[in-house]
Amino acid sequence: MSALGDLGAALIALLTPTMIFHAAWSTLLGIIIGSLPGLTATMGVALMTTLTYSLDSTTAILVLLCMYVGAIYGGSRSAILLNIPGTPASAATSLDGYPLAQRGRAGYAMGLATAGSMMGTLAGIALLVMIAPPLAEAALNFGSFEFFWLAVFGIVISGQLTADTTPIKGYIAGILGLMAAMVGSEGIHAHVRFSMGFSDLNAGIGLIPAMVGAFGFAEVLNAMWGRAGVLATVKDKSDRILPELRDLWRYKVTALRSGIIGTLVGIVPGVGEDIGAWASYVAARRSSKEAHLYGKGSYEGLLAAETGNSAVVPGSLIPAITLAVPGSASSAVLIAALFIHGIRPGPLIMIEQPQFISSVAAMLILATVFMGFYGLTLTRAFVQVLRVPYSYLMPVVFVLCVIGTYALSQRVFDIWIMVGFGLAGFVLRQMKYPMAPLVLGIILGDLLDKSLRRGLTLSDGDLTPFFTRPVSAAFAILIAVSILANLSFVRRWLASMIARWGPRDA
Amino acid sequence: MRMTLADRLTAIVFAALGLSMAVGGYRMDRLEIRQIHPGSIPGLVPMILGVLLVICAAMLWREAARAGPDTGEPVLSDGSWLRLGLTAGTCLIYALVLVGFLPFVWSTGLFVFTFAAIFSWPGSGDVVALVKALAGAAILAVATAIGTALLFAEVFLVRLP
Repeated sequence: MSALGDLGAALIALLTPTMIFHAAWSTLLGIIIGSLPGLTATMGVALMTTLTYSLDSTTAILVLLCMYVGAIYGGSRSAILLNIPGTPASAATSLDGYPLAQRGRAGYAMGLATAGSMMGTLAGIALLVMIAPPLAEAALNFGSFEFFWLAVFGIVISGQLTADTTPIKGYIAGILGLMAAMVGSEGIHAHVRFSMGFSDLNAGIGLIPAMVGAFGFAEVLNAMWGRAGVLATVKDKSDRILPELRDLWRYKVTALRSGIIGTLVGIVPGVGEDIGAWASYVAARRSSKEAHLYGKGSYEGLLAAETGNSAVVPGSLIPAITLAVPGSASSAVLIAALFIHGIRPGPLIMIEQPQFISSVAAMLILATVFMGFYGLTLTRAFVQVLRVPYSYLMPVVFVLCVIGTYALSQRVFDIWIMVGFGLAGFVLRQMKYPMAPLVLGIILGDLLDKSLRRGLTLSDGDLTPFFTRPVSAAFAILIAVSILANLSFVRRWLASMIARWGPRDA
Repeated sequence: MRMTLADRLTAIVFAALGLSMAVGGYRMDRLEIRQIHPGSIPGLVPMILGVLLVICAAMLWREAARAGPDTGEPVLSDGSWLRLGLTAGTCLIYALVLVGFLPFVWSTGLFVFTFAAIFSWPGSGDVVALVKALAGAAILAVATAIGTALLFAEVFLVRLP
């Protein structure tokens, strides 16, 4: 059956009252979580994972995807109304959304953001359906050597692109994540490493407790540290909410380009929605005829940012499903959730569950429909959500962090892990260490470890295959170039070489 | 504290962590008794990661040292230490002490009430506002404690701590 036929069949299978009900509430909850500054999409998905243990796998994945899509979109609400991005993904949205709100066009800005998010998600879904199956098939030829480099590539690129200041901090965050993954029973000989006598550490550090800590508890601390107790409130100066078709048609090229850029950014391991939004925004401004309006309330800028960040969601699922390498921090949690619900992401997914990609695409379509519905009908209601004070919100979030973490294995030890990662995550974030490479490190640590040692066993200790097999060689060169290009002394040396040997003025 | 100083301090911590990981990996059992391939010893990747962390820490130190001691943006300076301390204190007492010591419903109710009451405490000394804040905190505490306990115990069949 064609990809379109598969997608149609998956969509029809999803259209049961139960599934529609689950999609409806989880998308709404996602939008609410995303719109509240301090609650991120990753935190929402991580906490929601702990609430889906008892659901069947299809329902659980639907709920998590709807939460993810809703939360990324929801961030635009507070970005437009309060100039505070609800999630980091919406930082670029506030540049043009807030000036529009100041001019009394908040309703229209939110309508445009809704349309942009819908277009971005749909563009990403189209690319997901087209790219994921051939990528999974190509990955079937990957061996230990290629998977080793793929894991290294994920950490390096994620560390490089998500670091605020220096890429070294991104690399350090990635290495710390990999180190955390080294704790517990290793995957080849079942030898227990670094358990320090704690039998609870024999099974390793769970991804869910670590994620809930790094994104849940750390966010609670961050929110209470950095802001006054009550969110600022803004009167909703709603005007026309439904975007004009004329505007959407005028910016069709921008929307399409932003959708493609967002999806491609999503495919790059560990690079999240915020980078997708910024990359789309910058690309749109560069090629825009109205670049002077950017940052002052440009419809095109707002559309580019929202299309870009929403397209990352399906994009990040492409490597997550086909390679088990997350495209974003939220999709890292989704991978853990898939394992919990008995689905093994990776190249074998097309053999074990050939309909899975179509099902995911259909779930994303359902989430997009609900996102559009809520976005255009509940604009005023969402303004009320922004008035919830932190003093009421944060203790409830922390209770969910504690009981959600505990519920997975029913071990108090997991609560300690969550607390440890929360405290470390808060300090690291304050010191400008990105969290995405840390998470990626935890999830890729096992793959990297097993692939390197298995590869060395296969080659009888010979390192040559790591550099001579075509895909391995390509990864190795890519990684080396991207690391070297970011080292300051290499850049200085290159600049001096260019100055010495390059063309000189007469 | 400036970022460059903070970076140098963390570089020392990371170098120590990397070194201990590398040593831990080197001293790890090589499972010779099981005649495994030397390329698959369990300590191999920890050793490599330890060395890489030491290298990154050295580069971080070098960058910070080059920038000078009093440069870079301030660290941990744009928030309230009191609020952070109160948040961390209440959360840690709840997660590490109360959960498991008291029944979940009681520990959760106590935590939520304390947290909400502290952070919604009116600074003006207005009695009506104080009563409102305490009543709001109490309602939230009861609803959260009973709601989460019922959800996890009855719906998800979790044996509560």
